[in-house]
Amino acid sequence: MRDYPLNNRCAFPHPDASGAGASINLAPVKDGFVFHVLGDAKSDEAALRQALAKVAPELGDDVRKSSPGQWFWVGSIAVSDVRLAEIQAALTDTFALVDQTHGRLRMVLSGPSSRTVLAKGTMVDLSTDLFAIGQSAMSQIGHIGAMITRVEDDSFELIVLRSFAGSLWDELQHMAAEFLTG
Amino acid sequence: MTGFRIDGGTLIDRNDVRRFSFNGEALSGFGGDTVASALLANGRQLVGRSFKYHRPRGILTAGAAEPNALLTIGRDGRRDPNTRATMAELFDGLEARSQNCWPNVNFDIGAANGLLGPLLGAGFYYKTFMWPAAFWEKVYEPLIRKAAGLGRASYDPDPGYYEKCWAHCDLLVIGAGAAGLAAALTAGRAGARVIIADEGAQLGGGLLAEGSPIGGKPADAVLADIVGELHALPNVEIKKRTTVFAAYDDQVFAAVERVQKHLPEGAINPHLAMERLWRIVARQVVLATGAEERPIVFGGNDRPGVMMAGAMRTYLNAYGVAPGKRVALFANNNQAYQTAMDLEARGVEVAAIIDPRTCPNIRYDGKARMIAGAMVRDTAGRKAIKSITVRHDDGRDEVIAVDALAVSGGYSPIVHLACHRGGKPAWSDEHVGFMPPENTDGMTPCGAVAGKIGIVDCFAAGGAAAVKALAELGVMGDAATLPGVAQGDATVDHVQPVWSVSSTKGKAFVDFQNDVAASDITLAMREGYDHVELAKRYTTNGMATDQGKTSNVNAIGILAENKGVSPGEIGTTTFRPFYTPVSFGALVGASKGMEFQPIRKSPLHGWAERHGARFVETGLWYRSSWFPKDGETFWRDSVDREVNTVRTKVGICDVSTLGKIEIFGADAAEFLNRVYCNAFLKLPIGKARYGIMLREDGFVYDDGTTSCLGENHYFMTTTTALAAGVLTHLEFCAQVLWPELDVRLASATDQWAQMAIAGPKSRDVLAKIIDEDLSNEAFPFLAAREVSMFGGRLKGRLFRISFSGELAYEIAVPAGYGDSVADAIMTAGEEFGIVPYGTEALGVMRIEKGHVTHAEINGTVTPADLGMGKMVSAKKDDFIGRVMNLREGLVDPNRPTLVGIKPKSASDKFATGSHILKPGDPVSLANDQGYVTSMCHSPTLGHAIGLALVKNGPSRHGEEVVIWNGLAGTTVTGILCDPAFVDPENEKLHA
Amino acid sequence: MSSLVKCPHCGLRPKEEFTVRGEVATPRPDAGAEEAVWFDHVYLRDNPRGEHREYWHHSGGCRRWLVLSRNTLTHETSEVVDASTLKTGGAA
Repeated sequence: MRDYPLNNRCAFPHPDASGAGASINLAPVKDGFVFHVLGDAKSDEAALRQALAKVAPELGDDVRKSSPGQWFWVGSIAVSDVRLAEIQAALTDTFALVDQTHGRLRMVLSGPSSRTVLAKGTMVDLSTDLFAIGQSAMSQIGHIGAMITRVEDDSFELIVLRSFAGSLWDELQHMAAEFLTG
Repeated sequence: MTGFRIDGGTLIDRNDVRRFSFNGEALSGFGGDTVASALLANGRQLVGRSFKYHRPRGILTAGAAEPNALLTIGRDGRRDPNTRATMAELFDGLEARSQNCWPNVNFDIGAANGLLGPLLGAGFYYKTFMWPAAFWEKVYEPLIRKAAGLGRASYDPDPGYYEKCWAHCDLLVIGAGAAGLAAALTAGRAGARVIIADEGAQLGGGLLAEGSPIGGKPADAVLADIVGELHALPNVEIKKRTTVFAAYDDQVFAAVERVQKHLPEGAINPHLAMERLWRIVARQVVLATGAEERPIVFGGNDRPGVMMAGAMRTYLNAYGVAPGKRVALFANNNQAYQTAMDLEARGVEVAAIIDPRTCPNIRYDGKARMIAGAMVRDTAGRKAIKSITVRHDDGRDEVIAVDALAVSGGYSPIVHLACHRGGKPAWSDEHVGFMPPENTDGMTPCGAVAGKIGIVDCFAAGGAAAVKALAELGVMGDAATLPGVAQGDATVDHVQPVWSVSSTKGKAFVDFQNDVAASDITLAMREGYDHVELAKRYTTNGMATDQGKTSNVNAIGILAENKGVSPGEIGTTTFRPFYTPVSFGALVGASKGMEFQPIRKSPLHGWAERHGARFVETGLWYRSSWFPKDGETFWRDSVDREVNTVRTKVGICDVSTLGKIEIFGADAAEFLNRVYCNAFLKLPIGKARYGIMLREDGFVYDDGTTSCLGENHYFMTTTTALAAGVLTHLEFCAQVLWPELDVRLASATDQWAQMAIAGPKSRDVLAKIIDEDLSNEAFPFLAAREVSMFGGRLKGRLFRISFSGELAYEIAVPAGYGDSVADAIMTAGEEFGIVPYGTEALGVMRIEKGHVTHAEINGTVTPADLGMGKMVSAKKDDFIGRVMNLREGLVDPNRPTLVGIKPKSASDKFATGSHILKPGDPVSLANDQGYVTSMCHSPTLGHAIGLALVKNGPSRHGEEVVIWNGLAGTTVTGILCDPAFVDPENEKLHA
Repeated sequence: MSSLVKCPHCGLRPKEEFTVRGEVATPRPDAGAEEAVWFDHVYLRDNPRGEHREYWHHSGGCRRWLVLSRNTLTHETSEVVDASTLKTGGAA
């Protein structure tokens, strides 16, 4: 069989960080995984964390609740098809796992102005005392759905559908422009 | 000379000279000036012509309520019509023009309308231009539109950037006058999250115009201290130039911040918003919007040079502008006397104070002559006031020469935001005004809006309001101590209502912007329009862009006086957002041009671009619609070639935009069985099935395939159009109808790049990249399973399904690899002549095959109408739409049913939407037999073909009909036929 | 109309994140129910002045169907619950 080249293509218009050094910085997260976890009616987050610790301790337990019984499990390690199949099998029927690594992309908006920029898109109050590090919200940034997670003091990770990633990237660039050139 | 610059002016910087033009004339002012103050300082009192009668008009106010001084400012895309000169900040190079006058403001042909006055009274729209009817469109309306109307919008796009933002706070303080500042300071010191918004360029409100010291300290120094402390508090956000213009449900307030509108073009930062639309979520609100001074309705009260007393004081103290050299004051209250005192203190002669009260309860220490118990009944002067006629209490008239007249008829609390959610203001005889409604949830009015008078009382009221609001939030706070607080009893005024001067000579205006005179209101009453809402619409009082800020209460007063009742019994008209006009730019925000809405791009977008695709917008998606090759100039050249290649060789099409839903759970099969009208319980692993989803009313909702990929694991595809709708529908079924079922849904549309490989050579192409046996035996029609690709380097999902009717597959791979896989398929298919094809070719082939899309599934069809009645399960107990699908009307054999249609003569064409008639029947919808749902040119057959819904269609194959295009007025003879034009036996499909 | 909705799963969110389906109809009838009962379920809707229960889908958030009880006159929202509780009676 002929050796066809296979590349995993980045969906962001600019695959590199932009705004480095300014009060705002936008960067794609290129590696790792996003798994959509679908629990049954009785499942809860504690049970999920327990199951993950047992089945795949090497992948961490960064789970972000998107809906009752549903989470996005994300991590920075690449997971092979074989390993994913093993994990899916081991989680049995309580938690179904859907690979969304290609369907839901991650980017990080950081810097002292990040909260101000996001307030141009989402109604969720991201002030430090109400939106602690590790907290997530499924919301909309403008017209685009996104999961917002506070990962550090002034740093927010956004998970967005791949088809909208280019538009969201461009919109964030517009929203952040006043701080990029300042 | 009617106005000039004198010493002082707390807001202006005399070292910052700013040049501007007014109607082409070069003038100058200072930094800190508004366009209005600069015009007055240049002696320009006449700034525009009135709407209806084209009367000369001057600057009446110094703020948001201005009805007269509406100018067009800027040029090209940055031109803003109807800008209030009293709100526009002066910048270097500003260009301002008067509106509503032609050829110019000094000589206006439209002023002849003044002679037509009797024709233009209340209700003139309804009376004057009625007959003959044909004249309305051709004569009256164009004339009215030319003569009336305000500024004109620019046709050029606004180059500025606009945006919207959310903000959150514990306490929103609206208005930064004395009360608002005290409230913000109180809450800020207590540690609450505070936003204080004010429409002015500087915080201060009435404090900015205060000429007298407060607690022994100059007013501007007191203000500077407060503002300085607010700036230093990190929990206080100050929004200047920000008008809170609407109060919405759930304590959401809308505000517009004019970020860069006050800057010359060269100083504008293109990356910063020109205006920002704020939506502020506030837990508590302090309303400190102040009060609007009311004009008095007397003859000639609209002459340039007549100005509100408070505005005159603002121009004097804040901008260092005197309104004239010899001024009179006409006022029915004590507060207005402050203007006379300040005028005299600044060396301006006050010729007289005319007070309708026979015994004004005030001691005036100035030089001005006091005339009690008197009224101004008329004014004189062509383009500016030259004299006033005073009617004394003994009936004697006296003419007094003046070049400006200050007027004050009392104070109307600015209650709008307290009433936007339906609250009605309450009349107060004590305050002679409508007060904010009580029980406004979460909102505390304070200061002048609550009837307080004077800086000191407003400080105290603001502090107390904040303490009350903080208590609601569970926060303890002490009212901020400010200079001059605690003086004992509240200050009281003694306003004597004067709704209109009975001895008026000439036209006495109530609404300056819409040219409504007192006589119009009494006329409306005589004609039966005496309800306040009717009077408003009949006379147009309060309906201009100023929304009657200076006129509504006077109109209500006139109605009340004439009916002999209290203004409270008349009541106000309804307060609705917006408080003041908001630019379209701010309302649109960033959503314009290419940013109008988000764009969804397929993972194969870049691949399609490299192959020269033309794209079509489908919802938010950009889909590749055809791929022109060199020499192809007409879209159908490409589409015909793509179809022919697929039918004879092989093609590849991006179908990534189809909705994809992963379904899990122990009850997933049962769930599918209930949402599809056909059977799904026994779908084996590794198989796909075509399914039809009904709505509960029995009509078809969507179609697609669902594959069983494993135990309790299904993969559903939907049409592109209904991807979101179907998921939402399934969620409704799973969450609301059958929460007891274990079924879990996840959208996977974006995870997969999906390609259709269609054509007799498709198996040969795929065999080169897929590691498994694709023979008809090993992978038959409707097989569906995960496959290994490229020697185990990638896993994909392969489905043997076909929309084109050819031997075909759909292969889905993780989206990031889509581009590479599409390239690999092109390379592998090169020897077979593979081409990329788009949605146009896809559409042609599905019509040729008789497959339906949403052109046919249009909300009025049942499965039987589409020739798929047999798919509807008769065995299943229950599924969505089962009962309603059996309704009498839906099983009528005479219903329009799917057929193919072709022209009798191969060269004839017809259009989608054409109606079907029987030959010989009169051309009329009364004889309608059905209609064409889809049509195309079939390259395979060489002529036009179509699908149609025709009464009892399946039994009429071969029948000659008339295809009637009612829009074009043409008819073509057609023949009804089997909708499967190509391969009706499905031999290709199963090859 | 409510400007903000307190989603029981996500907290306070703007109405733009929601899709309104309309009045909470009668429960879905049994398959064998009379036609009139089905017609009521599929077609008959009230348009009250006052308290009203509606299906709202949090399409821009958790994608759960909610039942929102609001007063059409005052716009006050008295309760927002997960729609599955209509049938299960318990928490979602």
